[in-house]
Amino acid sequence: MDLLTLIVFLPTLGAVACLVTPRQHIRMVALAVSFVTFVLSLTLFGTFWAGSGDVAIFGEHYGTLHETVRADWIVGDRFAIEYFLGVDGLSFPLIILTTLVSFLACLASWNFDSWKVNRGPRAYFILFLLLETGMLGVFVALDFFLFYIFWELMLLPMYFLIGVWGGPRREYAAIKFFLFTLGGSVLMLVALVAMYFFSDHAITQAMVEQGVDVIESGYRDGVGVTHGTFDMIELATNTAIQGYFGAKSTLFLGLRFAPLMFAFLFIGFAIKLPIVPLHTWLPDAHVESPTPISMILAGVLLKMGGYGFLRICYPIFPSGGYTLAFYVAMIGVVSIVYGALCAMAQTDFKRLVAYSSVSHMGFVLLGIAVMTKSGMQGAMFQMIAHGISSPMCFFLVGVIYERAHHREINRFGGLWLTMPKYGTMATIGFFAALGLPGLCGFIGEVWVLLGTFAARDMFPWAIPMAIVAASSVILTAGYILWLIQRVYLGREREEYKGFLDASPREMFVLVPLAVLCIALGVLPMQTVFNFTNGTLDLMLAQVLSGAGVG
Amino acid sequence: MALLGQTDLWAGIDVGEHLFLFSPMIVLVCTMLAVVACPIILGRGPRSIATVVWLGLGITLFMTFRVAGAVADGGVSGLSTQPGGMLIADNLSVGFQFLLLAFLAGVMLMWWMGSSATERNAPEFFILLLGSALGMVLMVSTTNLLMIVMAIELASLPSYAIVGFEKRNRVAAEASLKYMIFGAVCAAIMLYGASLLYGLVGSLDMAVIASYTIDNLSLGPNRVLLAVGLLCFLVGIAFKVSAVPFHFWCPDAFEGARIEVTTWLSVVSKGAGLLLLARLVTVFCAGGGADANPALSITFLTPLAWTIGIIAAVTCTVGNFAAYKQRSVKRMLAYSSIAHAGYMMMATAVFIHPSISGSTAGITALLTYVVIYLLMNLGAFGVTAMVVWDTGSDKIEAFTGLMRRSPWLAVPMVACLMSLVGMPPFAGFIGKWWILVALGRLQNTATSSGMFSLSTLGWLLMIVAVVNTFISLYYYLRIVVQMMFRDDGQRTVRTPIVGLAMVNGCAVALFALLIFAQPLKRTAERFTRNMYTASVEQDGKHKTLASAIQRGTP
Repeated sequence: MDLLTLIVFLPTLGAVACLVTPRQHIRMVALAVSFVTFVLSLTLFGTFWAGSGDVAIFGEHYGTLHETVRADWIVGDRFAIEYFLGVDGLSFPLIILTTLVSFLACLASWNFDSWKVNRGPRAYFILFLLLETGMLGVFVALDFFLFYIFWELMLLPMYFLIGVWGGPRREYAAIKFFLFTLGGSVLMLVALVAMYFFSDHAITQAMVEQGVDVIESGYRDGVGVTHGTFDMIELATNTAIQGYFGAKSTLFLGLRFAPLMFAFLFIGFAIKLPIVPLHTWLPDAHVESPTPISMILAGVLLKMGGYGFLRICYPIFPSGGYTLAFYVAMIGVVSIVYGALCAMAQTDFKRLVAYSSVSHMGFVLLGIAVMTKSGMQGAMFQMIAHGISSPMCFFLVGVIYERAHHREINRFGGLWLTMPKYGTMATIGFFAALGLPGLCGFIGEVWVLLGTFAARDMFPWAIPMAIVAASSVILTAGYILWLIQRVYLGREREEYKGFLDASPREMFVLVPLAVLCIALGVLPMQTVFNFTNGTLDLMLAQVLSGAGVG
Repeated sequence: MALLGQTDLWAGIDVGEHLFLFSPMIVLVCTMLAVVACPIILGRGPRSIATVVWLGLGITLFMTFRVAGAVADGGVSGLSTQPGGMLIADNLSVGFQFLLLAFLAGVMLMWWMGSSATERNAPEFFILLLGSALGMVLMVSTTNLLMIVMAIELASLPSYAIVGFEKRNRVAAEASLKYMIFGAVCAAIMLYGASLLYGLVGSLDMAVIASYTIDNLSLGPNRVLLAVGLLCFLVGIAFKVSAVPFHFWCPDAFEGARIEVTTWLSVVSKGAGLLLLARLVTVFCAGGGADANPALSITFLTPLAWTIGIIAAVTCTVGNFAAYKQRSVKRMLAYSSIAHAGYMMMATAVFIHPSISGSTAGITALLTYVVIYLLMNLGAFGVTAMVVWDTGSDKIEAFTGLMRRSPWLAVPMVACLMSLVGMPPFAGFIGKWWILVALGRLQNTATSSGMFSLSTLGWLLMIVAVVNTFISLYYYLRIVVQMMFRDDGQRTVRTPIVGLAMVNGCAVALFALLIFAQPLKRTAERFTRNMYTASVEQDGKHKTLASAIQRGTP
């Protein structure tokens, strides 16, 4: 069994095991499975250890993969859907993030029995592990059809996890989550079919020009594809396909193919990211989810949107990205500012953290949209950083909610005095979200801003957008500092005096995240950039040449 | 007697050979006779009569297997030496017989669990059930105008009666009457259309009619009459498929009938209608002289594709929206079946283009979808049936808290509903996927360009289909919400073990068919290969007769 298949489907095996385990041991099985998955994913580090830009690791062009698995799945009549997995610099850090956050979230579910639900843990942990399979599958799948299957696969478990184990408005939140995500992915399905047939046309044309008999040649002759494909790397790097996709004369229902397909895919990924104005499912889903599910939602699910941009939208439709750059960047800036303003207005602790996610993911979108080296790198870093700081913040909220049974920010106060260990962790977590230099949030935001400034030759609007995005840091500082002041500082309150400090289990969740917050802030090269930049730079070079500007 | 004179019954053919090819149908008829005879010998016990039917179905299945081997390499037009005989035996008709038998077994199982204990009129019930089954088998085995009309009537008439089988139930009686009136009107329109076509062309063979149509529809003096005849004829098929605006019978009949009857009507009746439509479309593409005169056939086939495509798009949209406010699960599933008929009809629209009539993408997609649809509906109706038998209500509230009450009903129900939506990891997604791919194939084959080209049609239908997937999600989720998220303390549902095995089997099969999409596709391709299409003699006597009519001297 190859490594990636094992990593992806080990949680599914765990889910099957949960089906037959006695009730009191289920959480143990789930925790063990998610831990083993995490350890297995760490073995991927070896492949990427040597450092940034190493040709031996990242290749000379975009598309060098490691640990690849390829097998035919559905083939026939000039048609091939493959079981195709692999990792490169784009997916590698996200896989580690997924397995880590899943493991910690599983640990956060340890006190399942004290939740006020009348459902047993069996279904919960089965769905949890299936969700992990779906998430990992999205990051390792390189066949677009397979990617789509995994993308949808994770919807159903998430829907039930919110809807069955959630808060009072869980039904509404769960359905909203489901409808928004499916609404985005149906257009992706059209794009999926369209990309296959248009690539088929491109390949056929190229073969006719070379004088190859199209009918006679097999569906794969070892040299390259001889028909349309779902292979995301092939779609991005095959010159015949890229030429046809990008050509102005290629039309889909009378509209230019590349920008239209870019938009179809963009909507699907952007709902997940999320962007203003399609973000409204996110605060609802977060507020109603149980704490571990919030951690997964913020830590991993939102990253799928960003990963989709980096893996599919930009490499395959560079000219679409270039044409629509202004709108994409504009949406990013609006999300940054609007998310921050909304966060400032919240009185519900969890809702505030949820809106801060909208703001932070706006930076990801802006960094990708400007199509510069530091912009892309910053966006990737921001995804990882947010994937560490936001689960931490949600867990911090969950810890206090378990004790106080409410989340009203204004009713808290002086918690640092009551719970010193917890207060310290909370400060690290929220300062990381704020973007304090030395912590992880800072690097991503600065890189994105630098990247936006650097795009001024390409896009005249880059400077004003960078200025607006940079100024919004003040808003972020505003709501986070105000939050810390209201909740953790001030005089100790009578009603919270009896609260126990963070338990060892809670510290076990918080400390690794806090350490990572600091490590990423102090050693960004060694922790993230060395692993991602090699692929990102090659991808960007290819995108720029595809868009005709590099 | 000119009508029969042209078909030269029995002349110069191997009668034994041909009787063998149609033996599954003959065995079905014999089973009906056995059911009639059974009360005299064995008494009217419902289970003994059902056993006779099981036996008959077993023999039918055996004969179908043997016929499948015989026609694998090429279809046969039977009981006549003429090219367009009355009946056809080919891979497609055999494939449909397999589906029908499997589904009939599922429906029998439901009857056995739910109604056999209280059934007082078992012989009548089974005669009606088998009669409509025979009609559906015939529908997929013919391209003869007269035979089509007969087959549709044979499928419909027992259905009217079986819907109202509970004669003391007012709702059932009303449903039956509505169904019958609607069916009678549609049958009358179809017969009128058939008579116009026969009067104009002078032949009952669809291939001859197709050839005549393509030659005359845009130029000939009788083109209005011809168009009217064709459209009227299509009404009959649209009624069977429950395409909008001929769908009004569907929700009432589904709600009023017993649940096993509803299940029966929901899948194969529509499947038979769609496969008949697909067969006719093939004839219009391939047998209609399209290869001889591509330009002329494009001018005819493109509007035909658009007509079917638009009806399909409207059907699935109306079905999905109407399902929204239903409180009865049976009725909701009725509207859902209208929507699914729309999706399946899209596959018949694509398959029109002459340059792909050699390719079986559309009809393979259709057949695959019917297989998957059969499983999901058997599962969904099976769960509904068990809830209805136990609680006596088919309202959505009867499902409240099912996850706690009977998890082995709730989980397969979720699987079937999500499969109906078209969500991975269930096979409903693969069914939709092949239809989308078939629609996409119009891209590479369209010869005309512009606003009303076939490739435009393909992409538009694709967008309609995926948007409808999104629309349909909400009402399927309403049942899921009731089962999973709410609980009002109702008691556990008592379920027969066979029923649990059936619905869970359906759910597992739906999951497995996504993983094993490749074998499924291969199987569907095997049963759509070598479809029988009659070749038309351009200077045959049909043609001469047709020209004579044009000159006004019939």
